[in-house]
Amino acid sequence: MVPTKPWGEWFLSPPVTPAGLFGVAFLARVALVFYGVFQDRTLLVRYTDIDYHVFTDAARFVTEGRFPYLRATYRYTPLLAWLLTPNIYLSELFGKFLFISCDLLTAFLAFRLLLLRRLGRRQACGYCAFWLFNPLPMAVSSRGNADSLVASLVLATLYLLEKRLVAAAAVCYGVAVHMKIYPVTYALPIALHLLPERGRDPGPNPLRAGVCALLKRLCSRAVLLFGAVAGLTFAALSVGFYYQYGWEFLEHTYLYHLTRRDIRHNFSPYFYMLYLTAESPWSFSLGIAAFLPQGILLLAVSLAYSRDLVFCCFLHTSIFVTFNKVCTSQYFLWYLCLLPLVMPRLRIPWKRAVVLLMLWFAGQALWLAPAYVLEFQGKNTFLFIWLAGLYFLLINCSILIQIISYYKEEPSAERLKHD
Amino acid sequence: MVSENFNIEAPNYLSKESEVLIYARQDSQCIDCFQAFLPVHYRYHRPHSKDGETFIVVSNPDLLMYCDQEFPILKCWAQSKVAAPCALKNKDICQWNNMKYKSVHKNVTLQVPVGLTIHTTLVCSVTLLITILCSTLILVAVFKYGHFSL
Repeated sequence: MVPTKPWGEWFLSPPVTPAGLFGVAFLARVALVFYGVFQDRTLLVRYTDIDYHVFTDAARFVTEGRFPYLRATYRYTPLLAWLLTPNIYLSELFGKFLFISCDLLTAFLAFRLLLLRRLGRRQACGYCAFWLFNPLPMAVSSRGNADSLVASLVLATLYLLEKRLVAAAAVCYGVAVHMKIYPVTYALPIALHLLPERGRDPGPNPLRAGVCALLKRLCSRAVLLFGAVAGLTFAALSVGFYYQYGWEFLEHTYLYHLTRRDIRHNFSPYFYMLYLTAESPWSFSLGIAAFLPQGILLLAVSLAYSRDLVFCCFLHTSIFVTFNKVCTSQYFLWYLCLLPLVMPRLRIPWKRAVVLLMLWFAGQALWLAPAYVLEFQGKNTFLFIWLAGLYFLLINCSILIQIISYYKEEPSAERLKHD
Repeated sequence: MVSENFNIEAPNYLSKESEVLIYARQDSQCIDCFQAFLPVHYRYHRPHSKDGETFIVVSNPDLLMYCDQEFPILKCWAQSKVAAPCALKNKDICQWNNMKYKSVHKNVTLQVPVGLTIHTTLVCSVTLLITILCSTLILVAVFKYGHFSL
């Protein structure tokens, strides 16, 4: 019987130093940015994402002292427009350089986190190479999408929590939630992770005593500190921007994302169902039915894996994206940035991993084909898109189950104390 | 091109008509010729019970002309009744003349694919079935391999 080879074997000692690896990754991204300038000028299909132009226009309004929301489809925090004001003062490429720097910061924080988990420098480097030389984050950042900003904030939160700097982690978390709503799902795993050790003696009434003990532990110093600082950061940002920009800020930054009903085709398995029932009286109940699997799974994962916060967040985001009512390829970055941290403890045979990866790409290709025919040739391929969406869901679920079953948690029995 | 702000994602039955003004450019190769291109992207339309496609007729646009010094000014100005911005980035309103013209195509018809409502029951039941199945399988894996300790 062939012994299963863990991932680690493949990433032992890459021939370069960490600095060299990061340097090469940076140069590759810079090259892509300049290639993007070239493509924008010559070809009809633009390299730069339309969102980048939206950010730049909003930044221009901010430099003129006006509302960034004057720019149609700007549905982000004003913080982003403020950050990109050098696009107007210095060069339009500033934003792209900011995003690729955040990309590298994400990889660097992952590297430091892996070192904290007692991995060797070369090995940690090898796992970070997965993010540094992955074409998806390279393309996304060099095209001008702001997802790497949130990814670096999420990783900063996890890194600071691992170093037990709870207040600093809470500030990063507050900013991350302000920028994109999805990190709010990490609140429960983080709270459970920061709980102190359970007391020994349950007493005469175990269930009632257990609930009381849990509530008492939830009021521990670390949990309260995290909750208070994160809440204050978020509130400060929200109140500050509300004072500056009024109701429009709330509407475009938060409410739009929470109440949005996008029925256009996307990777989600629910897309065709929601499109066909958009005007029917069942649409609200179907929306709830679509939310239930997501909600129950997120709760179960939080309770089961709160000890290993990184793996918990990875599962959280993967499940959130997979079962969401809207799913585009940008969302994959949200959990891919955590994959280098999960890989060291993933004892999956490499052949199986390659097969799963191929199936994942095949699932996307199977969806993209009928979607292309629908969008660019105007033929009715809705059924095929729906079936491809279901198939993609099945593949994602089997990948998740394989990851869950092959993941080996840290063997030490003691929990990290945060009191 | 100038147009009002509108919701790109909304389906057709939730969006209002909006006005699009295109300032035609002079053709470099042909004197007295102007050209304008309008790229079109379909919105999502209401699903149908029978056909997988719905037809939209794009009627001919209004052709507006601004009176210039070379034209017989008074006659031209008398017919200029449409108010619109003078130029692309200009906020001033000028009076434009709505011209009669002969178009090459009578009407342009677009065929937009739509969902089929006869599929609704099948799609809803199969989607919910498979999502419940998948979530149950993941839940089983989480219970099997996870450590529930509070």
